[in-house]
Amino acid sequence: MTNTPMSDAGPPPADIRCAETWLRRHGLSDGPPTPLLATRLAVRRRVRLLGSVLLAVLFVAASLAQVAALPGASGGSGSSRIVPVMALSASIVALLLTQVLLDAWVRRVDRRAGAALPRRVTHPVQLGWAALLGRPHAVMAGATFACAFALGVSALLVTEGTARHAAVVLLVAVIGVALGAVLQLREMLARPVVAEDEVSLTADVVMRIEDARESSAPAVLWALPVVLLSGFAPGWWSAASAGFLVAGVLALVAVHVRAPSYAATARRAVGLR
Amino acid sequence: MIVIDAGSPVPPFEQLRAQLARQIQDRTLAVGARLPTIRHLAADLGLAVNTVGRAYRELEEAGLIETRGRAGSFVAAAGEEGRERARRAAADYAAVIASVGIDAAEAIRIVQAALTSGAAAPASP
Repeated sequence: MTNTPMSDAGPPPADIRCAETWLRRHGLSDGPPTPLLATRLAVRRRVRLLGSVLLAVLFVAASLAQVAALPGASGGSGSSRIVPVMALSASIVALLLTQVLLDAWVRRVDRRAGAALPRRVTHPVQLGWAALLGRPHAVMAGATFACAFALGVSALLVTEGTARHAAVVLLVAVIGVALGAVLQLREMLARPVVAEDEVSLTADVVMRIEDARESSAPAVLWALPVVLLSGFAPGWWSAASAGFLVAGVLALVAVHVRAPSYAATARRAVGLR
Repeated sequence: MIVIDAGSPVPPFEQLRAQLARQIQDRTLAVGARLPTIRHLAADLGLAVNTVGRAYRELEEAGLIETRGRAGSFVAAAGEEGRERARRAAADYAAVIASVGIDAAEAIRIVQAALTSGAAAPASP
């Protein structure tokens, strides 16, 4: 990659080392990483870490909403169960807003990095969701959401009391996760390309593919039903949620094994256009 | 791939127009391919929206792209029709060359001379 200075100071050595590792992992290590790449990867790493914290907060909020309805808890009966669900919904809205702010941070860093380039490169045809996410991943993400939602609805229909409340909490959390994924994917499609040559354009596509697949990662949707409803739902439901988890893991492994590497997908996207 | 070099003496709109025109003519961009929106391409290349708009307008006037309202801009079939016309004219020219007994090397020189002098307009029958 050609070396374009970002600023006088440049990114910290730790960010450069991480960028080197990233280039090696994707088979793009033709040369040392540019400050541009190191800066862009660093902000993504931080945002990804904060995104994991947001998901952890979602789990905590959903668990608290669930605990609040347990027998013996202060809000554990009757119409007062609506309060924890409303609180969970408000938490999810706050988490989504935070996610939007994190995405805006990435966009701001990208824009600043791009403005420093004397030469800009892009695709003559805009990359769509199919090119970034890949159809197998898109199908898997859709199926995972549909199964998690179906599990929530089935628990809602066949249970009552605490389990019914847990099913409502599960559905609210699943919808929140799906909304977050859609918002992130939309942001990724709208985010401008930042590249100065073919190599950095390929790296840009790899970053987008990583971001897109990260935003649609199914692990949260696998875990939510197990965490929120195990012990409350009937045996057949627990078996179904465990089956959902096992089938999901197998499908993910199959997709990873069969799908071309990120770099191969990115090179195809750059080469074909 | 589209490259915009801020240090080039060629204006950015002309760099963009020329690259898109070349890619449409050499079929890198297929007929019907959807181009990025003006706003999106401007953001990708760090250009003003008006600059990209001007390049798109000139491509549209040349019949290389067409704008379908809010659906966006697409590579037009006109470039393909132009190429087909050129192929037909070349076949007619080859027939004339054969009938008057001019050899292939000279025939190519005649075409090159015509292209160089800008006399590529269709000859009167």
